[in-house]
Amino acid sequence: MFKINYSWGNAHWIVPPIIIGVLCVLFVLILIRRALKCAKDHTPFINLNYHFFVENWDKLKLIGCLVLLLLYPIAMKAIHFLPASIIFIFLFNVLFCGVDKLAMIKQGGGLKNEGLKSVLVSLLISVIASVLIWFIFGTIFRVTLP
Amino acid sequence: MVFSFTYLIMCFIGVAVGIIFGALPGMTATMAIAIFLPLTYAYDLHTSLFLLLGLYVGGISGGLVPAILVNIPGTPSSITTGFDGHPMAQRGEGEKALKIGITASFVGGIVSLLCLWFLTPPLAKLAINFGAVEKFLVILFALTIIAALSKGDMLKGIFAGFLGVLVSLAKNYTLNNKFRLVPEFMEPNMYSGFTLLPVLIGLFALTQIFQEAEKGMKENDFKPTDISNNDESKKFHFSCMKGNGINLIRSALIGTFVGVLPGVGGSAASLLSYSQCKNFSKHPEKLGTGAVEGLIASEAANNGLTGGALIPLLSLGIPGDSTTAVLVGAFMLQGISVGPLFITQNPDLWRTILMALAISNIFMFIVMFYPIKYIAKIINLPKARLYPVIILMCIVGSYAANNGNMFDVWTMIGFGLLGYFFSKFGLSSPSFLIGFILGRDLETYFIDAIQGSQGSLVCFFQRPIGNVVWVLIVASIAFAIWDARRSAKIEK
Repeated sequence: MFKINYSWGNAHWIVPPIIIGVLCVLFVLILIRRALKCAKDHTPFINLNYHFFVENWDKLKLIGCLVLLLLYPIAMKAIHFLPASIIFIFLFNVLFCGVDKLAMIKQGGGLKNEGLKSVLVSLLISVIASVLIWFIFGTIFRVTLP
Repeated sequence: MVFSFTYLIMCFIGVAVGIIFGALPGMTATMAIAIFLPLTYAYDLHTSLFLLLGLYVGGISGGLVPAILVNIPGTPSSITTGFDGHPMAQRGEGEKALKIGITASFVGGIVSLLCLWFLTPPLAKLAINFGAVEKFLVILFALTIIAALSKGDMLKGIFAGFLGVLVSLAKNYTLNNKFRLVPEFMEPNMYSGFTLLPVLIGLFALTQIFQEAEKGMKENDFKPTDISNNDESKKFHFSCMKGNGINLIRSALIGTFVGVLPGVGGSAASLLSYSQCKNFSKHPEKLGTGAVEGLIASEAANNGLTGGALIPLLSLGIPGDSTTAVLVGAFMLQGISVGPLFITQNPDLWRTILMALAISNIFMFIVMFYPIKYIAKIINLPKARLYPVIILMCIVGSYAANNGNMFDVWTMIGFGLLGYFFSKFGLSSPSFLIGFILGRDLETYFIDAIQGSQGSLVCFFQRPIGNVVWVLIVASIAFAIWDARRSAKIEK
């Protein structure tokens, strides 16, 4: 029992099963602890009222953020770092500041229009940040860029 | 060590940026270091350490600004700062509270630096005699300590730590050139497993962005308390801190001690220090109403953490907190391993660390103390404008981790999502990260130990130091169980 059959051929598969075993034991212990707590508090083991997301979660921002994050690396491969970054940092800015600001642009009013101002700031940030990071990382620090 | 002007500039930049990150609720020192780590590719480790330690000290210190002005801690370690700092700000002593906090932070940082200086070399000397058995057991001890201090969630704490170990093993095993835990289609990219940098950027930067996006990226529309006050009695003088010398040193030492324990965050340091301050106070009833001693206890402790967390890292190779875990990444990028031999083999780097920490604390004091009125405005920086730039830096940093590999970008996104799921199920990302960092060493020492004993597990119980570590492991688990029961009783 206190001996492990060690050989060169199986050396890679000695520790992982032990760790998986420990994780299984811990998982069972977590479940037992929960069962005991539920029995004590007279609450159901599976909470049907469980909400994964916070109350009034922002579907557009969370899902939009995820979608943009997944598309960003693909775009970088397709159209290179600088153009992809300008486009996507602009989109992230618009998304995080609220897409409702885009609708405000229709109200007109030139530069006094809050929506237009917000979009212009987003554009400015995306261009400056992308060019600056491209310059600092890629040119000064010579870090490999996508 | 040849001192260079670049070191000072990098340190200054680090401290200034760190303060901004610390002062913005939702952004942390860990996040700052994670996204700035790629900048260090172009520099040697000495210069990088000045930047990174500056970020660390600045990030921890900046948290006091929103804690005092709007009663929202900028970082978890400032959790108790607002208890007394905010009531002081409300009665027109905002500037005084901020300056007391900055001074206490400075003293806390310097005390912890002295502890680091004096305690690390003897601990490392002791650890040099460790064989594979002791090294394995010390790592196991670190994993149980994480659990022991995961308040109320001991099992989940251990679970996250061991999950980190398992994920770190998903790679090619170099001794027999065989893959394990890796799907076949991922094998070309997973020869060395997941790279640390994208993992930690994902866990500490991207997760935060997902959480903020879920909550709607609401801006900090804070109405900070006005800190300018012409009333002379409400202005800061160093005499305001009179009679708090012992409190200051005790709190700094508590912070340092908590920092030494792996996986225990700054919030535990400030909470423990605050409760001790209450126990020793002549007027405990005044704490929580704007007492200077409470503010000092909190701030001295959380900056005491900075040096403390580096002690186990530089003597045993075990990171003391999530931020020092990120610092491991900086050493790894430069091909230097931290552990018992670090000081002997890298005396120059050791001196650089001490110097960088000292200068970072001095810069932190100068940068925060005098222009505090302007620094107070940082808390209203729009997050919706900052996060896209942070995403850009995360992507660039991850991509550059292996000199240009898109797989690392996907790794970062994957671990960002994992950290987000962890937050939903109460699993600790710092515990996972510490397990991930220590996992490969845990396996190496385990295999070395059983190789030496022809497969017998008895070797783990035959060495005197090893048996002492076993006692510590059992004691930490017993403490965790006792503490969990005690906390449950108090809650009732």
